Formats: sequence, C-alpha cells, structure tokens
Amino acid sequence: MAVKVTADNFDTEILSFGGLVIADFYSDSCVPCKRMSPLLAEIDEQYESVKLAKINVNFNEELAEEHDVMSVPTLIFFNSGKELSRITGAAKKSEIIAIIENIQKGE
Amino acid sequence: MKYDVVIIGGGAAGLSSAVYSQRAMLKTVVVEQEYMGTGQIAESPRVDNYLGFFGLDGAELGDKFRSHAEALGTEFLNDEVTEIISLESSNGYKIKPSEGDVLETKTVIFSAGCKRKNLGIKGEKEFSARGISFCAVCDGAFYKNKTAAVIGAGDTAFSDALYLANIASKVYIIARRDKFRAGNSLVDAAKKRGNIEILTNTVPIEFTGEKSVDGIILNANGNEKKLAVNGIFIAVGSVPNTALLSGIAKLDESGYVVADEDGVTSAAGIFAAGDVRTKRLRQVITAAADGANCAVSAEKYIRENF
Repeated sequence: MAVKVTADNFDTEILSFGGLVIADFYSDSCVPCKRMSPLLAEIDEQYESVKLAKINVNFNEELAEEHDVMSVPTLIFFNSGKELSRITGAAKKSEIIAIIENIQKGE
Repeated sequence: MKYDVVIIGGGAAGLSSAVYSQRAMLKTVVVEQEYMGTGQIAESPRVDNYLGFFGLDGAELGDKFRSHAEALGTEFLNDEVTEIISLESSNGYKIKPSEGDVLETKTVIFSAGCKRKNLGIKGEKEFSARGISFCAVCDGAFYKNKTAAVIGAGDTAFSDALYLANIASKVYIIARRDKFRAGNSLVDAAKKRGNIEILTNTVPIEFTGEKSVDGIILNANGNEKKLAVNGIFIAVGSVPNTALLSGIAKLDESGYVVADEDGVTSAAGIFAAGDVRTKRLRQVITAAADGANCAVSAEKYIRENF
C-alpha cells in the first residue's frame, strides 16, 4: 500500500526508513503522473519490501523545493534515507524495475 | 498475415483511424508507446475548438477518444515501434516493437504525432526539469505566486500562459515578432488578463541560473536585457516524430510525411494521419479527420492488393 507523505511524516516514512522507498512527486493536473500511478501500484504489489511514498506537490511545495523537484512526475529512490537515483518525466515500468533491482543488488 | 492495419501512435489521428478501421471490420491494432497515452491533446489545459466538446480539458477529451476506440473492440499494444520493414514479396510490412513480438500487417497508418521543439539556446538543456518545462499543466504547480515566462506565439504558448496565469503571480509571453500565430480569441483573452504581459519583438538568447533557472537574457528590439523569472515554458512549435519513415516514405524538408488528404504516402500501403502529415492546420479536429480518411484509404488498398 502506498503511503501519503507530507512535510510532517517525510522524515519518519522516508529518511528514517531502513529500506528502499520510491518517493513519487506528482501533481493533480499532471496527466503523465496519473498514467504512471497504476504502474507504480503494480510495482508496489510486486516488491513487498519496497515502500511507495506519494507526495502531492500541490500541497507540499516546500518539500519539492527541498529535494530540487521542479518537474513532475519525479521519482526519487531513497535507500536507508539516502537518495540513490531519480527519474524525471514519465518512465516505463521496466526502467523503474531495473533501478529497484540494481539498488537491491547493491550496485 | 496477422493484421490488416497497424496504427502507430494512439493520439486523435490514430484513435480515429482505429474507429473507422474497426467499423470496416479490418483486423486492427494501435501501438502506443505511452501507457494509456492519447497523444499531445492530453497536455492541453482546455480545448475550445473541437466540435461538440466546448471547454473540455484535453486529457478528458483524449480519454473519450480512447474509450470510443475501445468500445468498438480495438486492440491496443503499449510498446514503442523501433522499425518498419517492407515485405517486398507480399506488399505488407513487419513492425518491430521494442519489447513485444514482431507484428505483420497489410497496411500501416502512421500517426506518431509531433513533439515540442527545443529552442537550442544556452542553458536550455542544463536547466531542463530545473525550471524549464514543456508542459504547463504538469509543472505549473511549482510557480504558485511566482513569475513564469512562456516562450512562443502560437496556440500552445497562449493557452499555456492563460493556464499559468491562474497559478503564478506574473506571466510573460515572449514573442519573436509583433504578430502572433495563436488564434485571436486566445490572444484577446491573454491581453485582458492583468497578470500577463506580452513582450513582442523579443528573442531569448540564454537561460541563466545556478541550481535552477533564475532568468532569461533577451534581445528586445535590438537591446540586450535580463528578465528575472522562476520558471520557463517553451512552446515554439513542434517537430514530427517521423524518423521511423526516413528512407521508406517521402518526407518534406521539415520532416513531415508528404501526403494529401487521403493519407496516401510515397510508400505503398503506408498512410499518414494527423500532425505528421504535410498540411496547413494541425489541430485535434484535423487529426481526427485524417484518421478517418486513412482508414478508408487502407481499406481500399487492401481490397485492391490482397
């Protein structure tokens, strides 16, 4: 299940989490974001140990600014609180999976 | 041979072809690279010139097109075509997707659309997704109570500026000349908006900034000056996605597929629909019309050649 993240729980849900988190920065009006949503939900189901965190930039501008997100969709891959990779713009499911598997292999 | 028609691109042109092909009982598949994609219309904040759907947002209109094609039983493939190979022995084509199996078809309706053109100036690449965007409805939210600039003078530029004016405190439209390609109603609406300022005879030379964009160096009527902005939206026209047809069908000097209203190209059995075709008006309504014409042309070609 995806977790809704705001400035209030960003630290606990993402930075202090001891595993891999995909932080999905999206906006309400962004069509590519809407289209990626079911793909991310599938990945969330497929990879039980990976946490999917959804951050709506319409209500979390400061959080977006803090993490240099100025375009959506942006996916940031955090592992034990550290940013290891990011994708800006619509991504294919296979691209996202390749990043997850590389991180899990420790590459 | 498996398919009568492979439609490359699932925007308005491709989906309209699908509707007409399905109704002509042709075995059809639409190959669209974006998941549930409906082409460029999805990026339009508001569509006021498609008959029967006044004021609908572009994404919703695109979804209606797709639902219509789906309701008629159209098969969709979410994949990217990497090659079109002519089968000289049988008048048909092989279509190679990047992930799935090769498709064999009697005809191809090519409706891959256009993508937005880059300006090609200093700072554009460096600040891409760091203050420079090609999609106002996607990234407009980052400029709440900030200053944004839209570069261009066509329908997209003016409609992006009107959308951004609801979010940003100030929006500049930067136009190369003092005449605009955009429709009069959009220009009029922009002129009436208190927070939109149109800079004419002004050419951007460079985007500046450190971590993200902070301004544009402009040549305004021959004088260089810097305009401070937080975000920049580029809408200076588009380029057709026709690389796949290079060497197969005749393209004009700008890369558009040479074809008349019937969609017939220089390659037998390949038909061009929508923004990829040489024509005067590239709009969602003319794309839909092209799609219908191409399906009829494809059906006639199959009847005569197979």
